[in-house]
Amino acid sequence: MTATSAETIVRPSRATTAADSAGVRRRQGFQHGGWFVAPFLALFALFVVWPLLRGLYLSFTDANISGDSAHFVGLDNYREALKDPLMWDALGHSAYFTLLVVPCITVLALLLAMLAHHIERGKWLWRLCFFLPFLLPSTVAANLWQWLFNPGTGMINHVFGLDTPWLTDKSYAMLAVVITTLWWTVGFSFLLYLAALQGIPAHLYEAAKLDGANAWHRILHITLPMLRNITGLVVALQILASLQVFDQAVVMQDFGPGPENSTRTFVQYTLEQGFTSYRVGYASAISIIFFVLIAAVALARMWLLRNREEGGR
Amino acid sequence: MGQGMGRPGLNRRHFLAAAGGLTVAGSFGFAGLGTGADALASGADTRVSYWNLFSGGDGYNMIAMLDSFRRDNPGIDVEDSTLQWGSPFYTKLAMAAAGNRAPDLGVMHLGRVTGFSPGRLLDPWDPVLLAKYGVREEDFNPELWKRAVIDGKLYALPLDIHVQLCFYRKDVLKKAGLLGEDGRIVPVTSTEEWFDVLKEARKATAKGRQTIGLWHNDQNFQWWFFVAFYTQLGGTWFNDARTDVTFDTDKAVQVLEFLRKHVADGYADPSFGGNAGAEQFVNGAPFAWEGNWSVPVFDAAKLDYGATPLPPVFGRRATHAESHSFVLPHQAGRGGATNEGAHRLAAYVVQHARQWAAGGHIPAHTPTLSTAAYRKLRPQNEYVSAMDHQATEPKVWFAGSTGILAQRVGPVVVSSTTGSAKPGAAARRMRSTLAELLAMKNPMDGRTAAQGGATA
Repeated sequence: MTATSAETIVRPSRATTAADSAGVRRRQGFQHGGWFVAPFLALFALFVVWPLLRGLYLSFTDANISGDSAHFVGLDNYREALKDPLMWDALGHSAYFTLLVVPCITVLALLLAMLAHHIERGKWLWRLCFFLPFLLPSTVAANLWQWLFNPGTGMINHVFGLDTPWLTDKSYAMLAVVITTLWWTVGFSFLLYLAALQGIPAHLYEAAKLDGANAWHRILHITLPMLRNITGLVVALQILASLQVFDQAVVMQDFGPGPENSTRTFVQYTLEQGFTSYRVGYASAISIIFFVLIAAVALARMWLLRNREEGGR
Repeated sequence: MGQGMGRPGLNRRHFLAAAGGLTVAGSFGFAGLGTGADALASGADTRVSYWNLFSGGDGYNMIAMLDSFRRDNPGIDVEDSTLQWGSPFYTKLAMAAAGNRAPDLGVMHLGRVTGFSPGRLLDPWDPVLLAKYGVREEDFNPELWKRAVIDGKLYALPLDIHVQLCFYRKDVLKKAGLLGEDGRIVPVTSTEEWFDVLKEARKATAKGRQTIGLWHNDQNFQWWFFVAFYTQLGGTWFNDARTDVTFDTDKAVQVLEFLRKHVADGYADPSFGGNAGAEQFVNGAPFAWEGNWSVPVFDAAKLDYGATPLPPVFGRRATHAESHSFVLPHQAGRGGATNEGAHRLAAYVVQHARQWAAGGHIPAHTPTLSTAAYRKLRPQNEYVSAMDHQATEPKVWFAGSTGILAQRVGPVVVSSTTGSAKPGAAARRMRSTLAELLAMKNPMDGRTAAQGGATA
């Protein structure tokens, strides 16, 4: 935006060649825009770029938490990591969580959005109810559900007449984290869907109605296709966020790895290696592995999307 | 993903990363401010900074002891900070020592000292100064003192031991006919006797209450109980040179089967893991295996209860013990009046630990244990014998409270107790994990347990 306004000021004052004016534009653009992004760039460099590079370097060393006497060990950390059953175990837990959360949250968000979109009375109340949990800090949400899941005194078992050891049995512990996450974060995807629903032109529905399409047909042939892009966005964001699951799982298990390590996620394992076992070099190596995996997922999605777009053309 | 669409997520993450960074920077800033302000405000000659991990009842007792030290030693200003228990505490202490911003005095679990790079992150105690302020080796349990000595130097000054106990409700046991004439639980010397006791107790237990709470799904407690009973069987972990695993899987299977039977036979209800065991006990369950730190909790609930060391079901008496001990985090220029003040403070607290016993811990300073005041404490006087029957983790760099050993092996014990792994398979996994740990290098000095001089 700044660049365009600079352009309009510069252009009438001087008659220059096309190349010159482009150069001026670029320089002027930085002078004005650069300062606006500088605070962000500084923080970005300090807290993202630098740690990333530093982490990459540390991953080739046997650095410990005290910060001294690190030796270059080549690919030893990576070799160890690929053979480390606990790392794969933790990765499996993060993947399992992602596999459960992503479809559930997408469907649930869509249903809630359609509900809130069609309800006439008290619209604001529904929107507020569905979105409000998302505003809670993760610790609050996790603590709340820790109480709800309490086997003896918790509301869940009480209301449904169950006797389920939600937080203390390895077959339920991750499920409890998934349920908590659904309740806590569905509001964000819900909001995206709601905005998209409101963007679908009403005349499409009117035309379909005239042609005799019933409500179900209208959803199937208008609503869902029109929401395809936003669904892609919701799924992508959820996959990236879910793979990085950490805080709610950790808080619900009182900072432990859950019954028989069943809620120990990849992020938690990395943290443990670095800050409990003091193996900063090794922790850096496995976080680089995780970074590569996540980047691969994001790239694979972009590639799939491009193929589909090209195929559609 | 469309470019414009990808950004919101990324931006949010970056923002969070940046915000997190600012918070950290901010807290460092405040820490710096705090130190300066306190030093200015104090009129005392010497200021001793002291980090501990005691909150709740322990925190209250520790502060009371510090206050009485302050009254007796007006020339020394104690600036104490309480940090959160567990791994974060050790991380902070390690980083502070490495960055030469360490406090003058700290508290650690004795089992963690070996792995804490004594000599680099910890400074040794000065025996002359300790003696000057009344600390004598003969006033401590010899085994306990030995564990605090590394490479011939004392790196930890034990304040207490804290042990795993069998808490029992006298009202329920009386109904079940399980109380002796002295008002204490009948002695138990074998697994058969123990399960007979549980069977009788179950008959007298109110509906909806389990018979015993033993943290069946908690990796720390299950590990501590394992250490206790494995020691009762005379089991060992490694040879003295730390080159071979001597872990006895047959003995381990006996222990694992014993623990498992509590859950399998329904004495421990799988729904009441964790803290629910103590809640059940308060509400009428006859037994709970808990750390001695639960004494103030059950006192506050005004229960009629007793507490013994874990029953010697395998013949020999032993219950798991760890120890809170004072340490001197490494300072490049350690010495002078501040260092002497740290010695003086630690020596004082260790010798005035009567108050500390109210938290259930057994004071390490044995003359305290024979005072009339201590002998009157109940149920402390019932389990004080645990001082002479300590079951501890092996003295290696990866051991100690919430250390790597507990984190690796604890879940394996839990898998057997909860029934998701057979005791035999779990015992073999424990053995192979111990072998892996033995081959592992201590990240602090790059040496394995066999290469490390830290075993003394």
